[in-house]
Amino acid sequence: MEALYRIPFNFLGCPNLKLKKPTWLRQPSPMLVFAAVLTSYFLVTGGIIYDVIVEPPSIGSTTDERGNSKPVAFMPYRVNGQYIMEGLAASFLFTLGGLGFVILDQTNKPLMPKLNRILLICVGIAAVVIAFFTCRVFMRIKLPGYMQS
Amino acid sequence: MADADLVVRNDIRSAMWNPGGWKSLLSFFILALAWLAGFSARLFAVIRFESIIHEFDPWFNYRATHYMVENGFYNFLNWFDDRAWYPLGRIVGGTVYPGLMVTSGSIHWILNLLHIPIHIRDICVFLAPIFSGMTATSVYLFTKEIWSPGAGLFAACFIAIVPGYISRSVAGSYDNEGIAIFALMFTYYLWIKAVKTGQVFWSICAALSYFYMVSAWGGYVFIINLIPLHVFVLLIMGRYSQRIYTAYSCFYIVGLILSMQIPFVGFQPIRTSEHMAAAGVFALINAYAFLKYIQNFLTKSEFRYFFFAAVTIAAAVVFIAVVGLTWAGYIAPWSGRFYSLWDTGYAKIHIPIIASVSEHQPTTWVSFFFDLHILVCAFPVGAWYCIKNVNDERVFVVLYAIFASYFAGVMVRLMLTLTPVVCVLAAIAFSKTFESYLKDDSPKQNQKNADEKGDNKNDRLYDKVGNKKIRDEKPKDEEGLGINVKSIIVVALLMMLMLFAVHCTWVTSSAYSSPSIVLASYGQGGSRTILDDFREAYYWLRQNTDDKARVMSWWDYGYQIAGMGNRTTLVDNNTWNNSHIALVGKAMSSNESAAYEIMRALDVNYVLVIFGGVIGYSGDDINKFLWMVRIAEGEHPRDIREVDYFTPQGEFRVDAAGSKILLNCLMYKLSYYRFGQMQLDFRSPAGFDRTRGVEIGNKNFELTHVEEAYTTEHWLVRIYKVKDLENRSEIKKPHKPVKKSKRKPKRQTVRKPGVIKHSPKIVKGKKVKSPKTTKTPPKTGGKK
Repeated sequence: MEALYRIPFNFLGCPNLKLKKPTWLRQPSPMLVFAAVLTSYFLVTGGIIYDVIVEPPSIGSTTDERGNSKPVAFMPYRVNGQYIMEGLAASFLFTLGGLGFVILDQTNKPLMPKLNRILLICVGIAAVVIAFFTCRVFMRIKLPGYMQS
Repeated sequence: MADADLVVRNDIRSAMWNPGGWKSLLSFFILALAWLAGFSARLFAVIRFESIIHEFDPWFNYRATHYMVENGFYNFLNWFDDRAWYPLGRIVGGTVYPGLMVTSGSIHWILNLLHIPIHIRDICVFLAPIFSGMTATSVYLFTKEIWSPGAGLFAACFIAIVPGYISRSVAGSYDNEGIAIFALMFTYYLWIKAVKTGQVFWSICAALSYFYMVSAWGGYVFIINLIPLHVFVLLIMGRYSQRIYTAYSCFYIVGLILSMQIPFVGFQPIRTSEHMAAAGVFALINAYAFLKYIQNFLTKSEFRYFFFAAVTIAAAVVFIAVVGLTWAGYIAPWSGRFYSLWDTGYAKIHIPIIASVSEHQPTTWVSFFFDLHILVCAFPVGAWYCIKNVNDERVFVVLYAIFASYFAGVMVRLMLTLTPVVCVLAAIAFSKTFESYLKDDSPKQNQKNADEKGDNKNDRLYDKVGNKKIRDEKPKDEEGLGINVKSIIVVALLMMLMLFAVHCTWVTSSAYSSPSIVLASYGQGGSRTILDDFREAYYWLRQNTDDKARVMSWWDYGYQIAGMGNRTTLVDNNTWNNSHIALVGKAMSSNESAAYEIMRALDVNYVLVIFGGVIGYSGDDINKFLWMVRIAEGEHPRDIREVDYFTPQGEFRVDAAGSKILLNCLMYKLSYYRFGQMQLDFRSPAGFDRTRGVEIGNKNFELTHVEEAYTTEHWLVRIYKVKDLENRSEIKKPHKPVKKSKRKPKRQTVRKPGVIKHSPKIVKGKKVKSPKTTKTPPKTGGKK
């Protein structure tokens, strides 16, 4: 093996080269990976792909009976249509709910003062509950008949 | 005797206190309940309407299943269907995924063997709900391998009722997806098992399950790309092991050979780009294993050089091979459907027929919330737990989650593949949260809770029992927090889960349970009217037309016409031949005489259009019409232009301001024939279209080449008969006079002396005729 391996070096001078793995190239930390996943999740659930393909306006507008144009945040009655801002708002709520769960988990670290723990728990559960109920409100605006019958 | 009794009692007692026994009993019960709940939640359509096949594709599946049951499996594989795609026909056996038909066919066969007579239609209707229970079980197994049995039970309960999955598996929606999700999750479970144990047995099982998946659904491509990706990422992360090598190489080889047994798939696994990733990873893992082997013989420094050289060369060789083979045409490039997943604008520009399907539209936030509800929040949390405590199999879940959520964003339809992983990860999140927040409850209280509440509650109890051991091992943190705060959180989460269940039931009942063949409208007092126009029309076709009659309609209705009307169709939902569809689209969008030529060329007897203007049904042909124009324009850009069908302002409108070409095209005329004379109510003018909310623009017109054959009760389906060629129109003026007019003046100019010019000749009993007039020849019969 050694002999075979040496053949090229008989006529090639080995350059004095030091190849190092670049220091910034290492396996990303779990937190970094999660942040990337969460960001992309935020974008995807906000319908960013829909926005790219269909190119809806960021906010819609209607004309009321007196002829004034009013901004409308939600495209009503349409399940497969949206404005850019409403999608982002909704996906912000999804992400908020997710972060609430994460905060709830973080409170279980053994080394944490009691006050902090209670505050964190409050923040976490508030995030989850607010996200959840605001989503329902959004849904009501979107589909006025939601959960009515 | 008493002794034996005592022993038995002791046994029972010890069994009663054996936590393992309780554990399995509880999990069994919860899974059974999940199965039952999932099954019953899917029965809305059957209870409200009847046991009927839904929508479009299921009708073809049903027809094919029926054919297979009647004629046997081999005849089914060789079936050439001359009633579809007239005049081309369709080789059904080679163009379907037969898994669905074989599954229900074998259930039918077994039941008949047991002398339980049942119609194949009932099996088809109830197949998907039954499989949902099996999906729940396989999701349970999967989550159990990934995380814990407690999370598994959560996941099973979630998947049983989550709307994203119910949407494709209600009773009557007899489609590939219904069984494919089960196969998908089961394959993944077996794969995880194979990776964990490194046994050939499990990887062969995974390959067999993969075979079932390939036979059932085209989505198998997702598996054959995700598993290699998992292996690849594990390699990059430096997690290579003997287990992974064994698992992947067995799975790939056996799975490859098995998947090529399906006639529709054939040689695709070695010839198309979709499958090349799997082959590449197979080569890579073998190269890697070889290097590992070489490492035993070389010193460390030697190996380093060798390693870099070998990896570079191997990667270059694989890459060049794939590119070269693609370029040389041995490997087909990506198909359009697959390509549109990456380049999202691709389908919109190049393939209108893909873009026209509503389930290929990109997803909005509403769909995410509608289909997943609370799980959409808990999903990233589960991903977080998996990333934090990563191991070989959790890498898989994370990859699955990332890719599935991206694909679900691109197409509404792929929400279906996202749903299981959302259930798994949300289950992990909930299980972990409850684990930490139910901790301080005393066991007694727990028992009480479990008695009070139903299905979901049981999970929690189970969770607690299952994780008792872990809890004891953990360092006890201070109790000072108190039960109150924790119970508030638990109650809040339980409430959300309850609302989740309510939401699921509501969505299932209101959005996903309509058969779309039978429509129902609700009056003000809650009274219900059934609009059964579709079946009325198809039944009319079946009874009143010739057995070989060809019916032209837009492709959406092809399967239904074939399934219910039993008549030959020109195009159907298979959409394999774009130019044929474009021809039909061209006929629909050109004016009557041009359309007549196309219809003559295609040998059409009847034309069927769906018109919702009377009852306000929005899924009718006029609303779909722009897609017909677009598809026709793609093939015949000189004859059909999309801009012609818009007003100068760029609007699509059917009222008087609409474009002239639109108001005279065949589809418009067929939809609105005689509609101008119809006044629906006193507030609106005659010819008021309820779907578009306008008065139509072209009211009084007659049809020359087609005649109305049948219109259903609510005008929903209108059928027209294409007339035969007309008789040659009569020739009004003969061409002869050219000759005569030359001669006659000659005669007349003969001047005889003493003769009065133009003197009338008088014959008794006859009218005076001027000599110039010529007799019109007798009318010809139009033959020449």
